Amino acid sequence: MSREPILSVEDLHVWFDLSGGSELHAVQGVSFDLRPGERMGLVGESGCGKTTTILAMMGLLPSSASVAGSVSLDGENIMARGEDTVSPHRWKDIAMVFQGAMNAFNPVKTIGSQIVEPMELHGTATGKAARGQTRELLELVGISGDRVNNYPHEFSGGMRQRAAIALALACEPRVLLADEPTTALDVMVQAQILELLVRLTRDLGLSMILVTHDLPVVAQVCDRAAVMYAGEIVEMGAMSSIYHDPRHPYTRMLFGATPDLLGDADVISIPGAPPRLDREIVGCPFAPRCDSAFAPCATVAPRRLETSPGHEAVCHLNDHVVAKEPA
Amino acid sequence: MEGRADYVVKRTLFALLTVFVAVTINFLLFRALPGDAVSGLRCQHCTIQFKTALRHDLGLDKSKWEQYKIYLKQLAHGNLGLSDVSHQPVRGLLWDPLKNTLLMLTLGTVFSIVFGLLTGVVAAWRRGTWVDKGSLWTSLAFYSMPTQWLGLMIVYFVADRIGLPHGGIQSPDLGILGNPSTYDYWKDRLEHMILPAMTLGLVLYGEYTLIVRSAMLETLGEDYVLTARAKGLSNFAIVRKHGLRNAMLPIVTLIALSLGFIVGGAITVEYVFDYPGIGLAIVDAIDKRDYTFLQGAFLLLTISVILFNFLADLLYFKLDPRVTT
Amino acid sequence: MTIDHPLPAAPGQLEELSAEGLGERRTPGFIRSAILTQPAALVGLAVLFFFVFIAIFGSYLEPYSIHEKTGPVYAPPSSAHWLGTDDGGVDMLSLLIAGTRVSMEVGFAAALVAMLIGGAVGVISGFVGGIIDVVLMRITDIFLVIPDIPLMIVMAAIFGRSLKNIIIIIGIIYWTSTARLIRAQVKSVRERVYVKRARSLGATNNRLVFKHVLPQVAPLLIANTVLMVALAVFAETYITFLGLGDPSAISWGRLIENAFLGNAVLNNAWWAIVPPGVCVTIVILACTMVGQSMEDALNPRLKVGHLSVRRFRLRPLGGKLDSE
Repeated sequence: MSREPILSVEDLHVWFDLSGGSELHAVQGVSFDLRPGERMGLVGESGCGKTTTILAMMGLLPSSASVAGSVSLDGENIMARGEDTVSPHRWKDIAMVFQGAMNAFNPVKTIGSQIVEPMELHGTATGKAARGQTRELLELVGISGDRVNNYPHEFSGGMRQRAAIALALACEPRVLLADEPTTALDVMVQAQILELLVRLTRDLGLSMILVTHDLPVVAQVCDRAAVMYAGEIVEMGAMSSIYHDPRHPYTRMLFGATPDLLGDADVISIPGAPPRLDREIVGCPFAPRCDSAFAPCATVAPRRLETSPGHEAVCHLNDHVVAKEPA
Repeated sequence: MEGRADYVVKRTLFALLTVFVAVTINFLLFRALPGDAVSGLRCQHCTIQFKTALRHDLGLDKSKWEQYKIYLKQLAHGNLGLSDVSHQPVRGLLWDPLKNTLLMLTLGTVFSIVFGLLTGVVAAWRRGTWVDKGSLWTSLAFYSMPTQWLGLMIVYFVADRIGLPHGGIQSPDLGILGNPSTYDYWKDRLEHMILPAMTLGLVLYGEYTLIVRSAMLETLGEDYVLTARAKGLSNFAIVRKHGLRNAMLPIVTLIALSLGFIVGGAITVEYVFDYPGIGLAIVDAIDKRDYTFLQGAFLLLTISVILFNFLADLLYFKLDPRVTT
Repeated sequence: MTIDHPLPAAPGQLEELSAEGLGERRTPGFIRSAILTQPAALVGLAVLFFFVFIAIFGSYLEPYSIHEKTGPVYAPPSSAHWLGTDDGGVDMLSLLIAGTRVSMEVGFAAALVAMLIGGAVGVISGFVGGIIDVVLMRITDIFLVIPDIPLMIVMAAIFGRSLKNIIIIIGIIYWTSTARLIRAQVKSVRERVYVKRARSLGATNNRLVFKHVLPQVAPLLIANTVLMVALAVFAETYITFLGLGDPSAISWGRLIENAFLGNAVLNNAWWAIVPPGVCVTIVILACTMVGQSMEDALNPRLKVGHLSVRRFRLRPLGGKLDSE
């Protein structure tokens, strides 16, 4: 992997307008780099802002949202003028794999036509060539090319997810944003999809951000992980580093939490609930639920500190380790 | 796929069954009236003996069940009975008015659908803005107006200003100087049809605006629209290729369903504009207590509703590849 | 089949009511606060109160007797007759006020009838379920298939043309939609309550559940009734226009009819034509506004539109200023 990041997010903020005039500060100063060929996991409970973050990166937020910060692709800030600077890069440079649920695809059009659509739109291929490439893509993700004229409801859940991946690859992007690609799939199919994603990113040299609340998935697939809580990244670093030496109580509790055997989708079961994001948070947002909270946690917001090269955490427990913030 | 052929068969059978039920209800309703076609007759030679004999001839002295069978048999032969007033076969009396009504209705329906589509799409697109709200409230206002009143208002305020006739179907001076050309004839007809059609169109377009807007909003909130936006499609392309295409499903269904009711709406409009269609004939018949005619007319209307519902089913079936049951 | 055209279906009404949107907190107070926060609904409510007021106290407000000729035939509005006179020289304003009374009476009474029948059928059908549910729903279907105009004709012929009968006719024709709505609602609430009770008590007390189901259903019933009022007022104009109305009753529908029969157009008497129709339209709009916002409060649509003219907005770093 080369060292220059292909994607660089700096101080990303997202606010949503709420009825009644107030705002929800959904993403609070998220920063990270993505290197070519890297697979990074973005983990957290539902509502922590991870999906909002990647939607923001592609400019797909609704009109009730305000965005600040920069998203740089190859050094160029595509968020500079909002929609105008983001839209040219959609699908061609950055593509998203949505949850392959029924509605990610238009139910009244064939899968094939929906994959051809962005190809023709962005000039990747047209007509017969586009159709040919679509077949190849389907084969690449493990679907028989003959099924190109099937409708979404004729595919099983796992196949739809594969089709969603094929769709994302249609215009040969360099960055893949995968949003909960394996939720609502059974374990066997999950494993296949994850394997597929790993293989593709390796073979095609793609960089990927995998958004999920499912820890085992991240541990399996990603080189690096960023843990989000209440709109912030509270810890980020290489996968093994995070796993073996978590520097934030939330991360530690996540990895140690007992899975809920009654089958709820969320594997995380830390008692308590995340803080409200429509008001200012004083001190550390995790303090109320933290088992290691101490004196400064309730009143002073912790700083982002590098605990070892490439590993940073936002927690007072690390205050003694490093005197200055990472670059 | 077999599933889909099944669907068509099932729908057809259901439609036929409904027709049968409608026919029966029609019969029951009109036979529930006090007296019968004969008792109300008033004429020089209508003595009691005469009426009794006539009653016998018409089969009105038989049991209800017998009458029902006769009714069904007559229907099967396309016999809708004789008008209580003119004693002419009802079927013949329905034909001309029906033609007139259909022409006028088609014009009005086209207007309301087209206008409804446009305003609905724009309202959905510009959701929340004054364009959306204004358009909605305007159409709602028209929808809330009694049709006969709107017709009156249009006649009063608009007709003369744009030189259109107040009513009727033909200008009295057409053909005064010899047979009118086909062009003149139809031009005259059209002029007489525009205002009633427009009235109907105005009153009804609002419903379509709401249907279209609602369907579009529903559609535009779907995940695949987000996917489309992520792919880089422009707003316009999304509306056209994903929004409208999908919204067409509920739109078409609801429009087809509502078409059945439009026939009823013709009644008010024709009355106000003195337009000799089915509607006016019905109002006349109510006034003159011509129950046999009414029975035939309403059978016609009911069947048209059922027919349109059936067509709506078929259309939906064709548009939605998911339908298999 | 419905009279002339089906009821104003305001935004949201066309979507199937999904009772999942309902929480347990739908008390009448909640509804009231929902209305008070929506300007359209407030306006509608104000309008309705105005007309109800006129309906109740109208007889004291009529400047002239409506049974006497108090001015020239088709006299234009003047200081003596604010809305002019009709084709019989009777004061239009007085006629309009009297008409308000009749139309509102028919509207509310018929809506009440429809609500009682529809509500009862809906609750029983949804609550008891089983064979009774099936039977009641079939009956509902039959009523839907019966063409309304012939039914009106027949009933008018059999029972005569009085206001009371008109109210009953309208109620009979329109209870079906209420029944359907309430039934769906009751079914979903019932499931939720049963599940809750089953978890906590093990045994379910029908009476208690009844007490829980009804309050959940009441707000919806009220919202629906308001919309019914609009339907009924509209239906009355239609019935009168068909010649099946009460000949002795002055309603807005009757006034419109009179304008037509009295050749108001030819006499350039716009004052005989415009007011009654305007009243009908305003009342129907008001009912729709109120009824619809109540239904919306009960059935929040949570879907966000992914498409709109305005996209996400950018904010300069460091400030909370908006730049679109």
